[in-house]
Amino acid sequence: MAQSNSLKACVPAYLKEAQLIKQGAEARVYRATFLGRPVVIKERFTKLYRHPEVDEKLTRRRTTQEVRSILRCRRAGINAPVVYFVDYTTHCIFLEDIVHSVSVRDHIASAQTPQHLQALVEKIGEVLAQMHDEDVIHGDLTTSNMLLVPGAEHQHIHLVLIDFGLSYISALPEDKGVDLYVLEKAFLSTHPKTETLFERLLKSYSASSKKSSAVIKKLDEVRLRGRKRSMVG
Amino acid sequence: MQLTQDLELFPEYTVTQLLFKDVKNATELRKMAVNGEIKGALINPSMVVDAFQILVATNKAVHLHKIGKMKTRSLYSEIIFNLSPTNNISEAFKRFGVSDSDCAVHIVLVHNKEENLNVDDIISKVDGQQIPVDQVSDLMDAAKIKKLYKVAPQEEKCGSLLDAVVCRMATKDVA
Repeated sequence: MAQSNSLKACVPAYLKEAQLIKQGAEARVYRATFLGRPVVIKERFTKLYRHPEVDEKLTRRRTTQEVRSILRCRRAGINAPVVYFVDYTTHCIFLEDIVHSVSVRDHIASAQTPQHLQALVEKIGEVLAQMHDEDVIHGDLTTSNMLLVPGAEHQHIHLVLIDFGLSYISALPEDKGVDLYVLEKAFLSTHPKTETLFERLLKSYSASSKKSSAVIKKLDEVRLRGRKRSMVG
Repeated sequence: MQLTQDLELFPEYTVTQLLFKDVKNATELRKMAVNGEIKGALINPSMVVDAFQILVATNKAVHLHKIGKMKTRSLYSEIIFNLSPTNNISEAFKRFGVSDSDCAVHIVLVHNKEENLNVDDIISKVDGQQIPVDQVSDLMDAAKIKKLYKVAPQEEKCGSLLDAVVCRMATKDVA
């Protein structure tokens, strides 16, 4: 046991030197250098309130799921951070640091007029349609989980999706509808008076995906009942 | 000429890479690596996009070595295995290891920081011309790499070939 602890100690000693940038209920996120490159490290720590065996299983499954979804997105040409290294003993994922990026949330908050944002929300709708066509459900779509990389050309918007921690694979319009519903809730509450902007996002989503009509139909259903499906009857 | 990089996760280790072209004794070198005369991994440079790709494979090999979960017998064979997108060990050696007909060799050495590495000893064993490691991308066979790693054109829209290759290497045990 003592031996396995000393073997496990490499990553924790490294993380001690790293800069903690965020702490959530599920994981801690750090910034550091790995093989000479800037990286972001997501560490899923042990939850002491869970049974150790259950905890290990859940944490492992979420780590692999996150990595799988990122790879699936990248394969389809959807921007997501490159995975450099995964440590399944300490449940750490080493990801490419998207340098000089701003979150879409901060970008929208600092924009003067909503007109500037139309191209952006259209791009978001397009990327999400592409992601759903690959049957990737993000699970936690918010404007904080989308990064904008400022580029030289104005025409081309460089959008990167991050935090696939709650993602899974599903082809069901229901799951895609809920994914959009979660975004709608988050979008309208963090950015007040943006209903027309979000409508534009949905319009662009519909135009970009072949399977969108079923999803939008589900979204209307979900709006009436909320995220959870009624199990009565 | 050679490229040296510390492994941040394993501060006691350092990785040194050397690149040679016009090599005439690939067969001999391969034999020396097999019987332990050369303590290093001999890699076919046509499969290497960038030195970073080798570092990712090496870091993973050292990690698995430390936790006792290597799939192959030695640290150096594990580096070669980690480069491959599949879990077939002999295929990994065939594609990523140096073969007798090769005329270029990429050598990877893992050593302790304090340990005085005798690079000249290795250089003297190679009958070829040493070139800077960052020229490895000039020797790569991009078409072969794309085919083996199954990189579709659409993926290169969201990143470089190196990104695509590294991402697959890092995730091959779960994807």
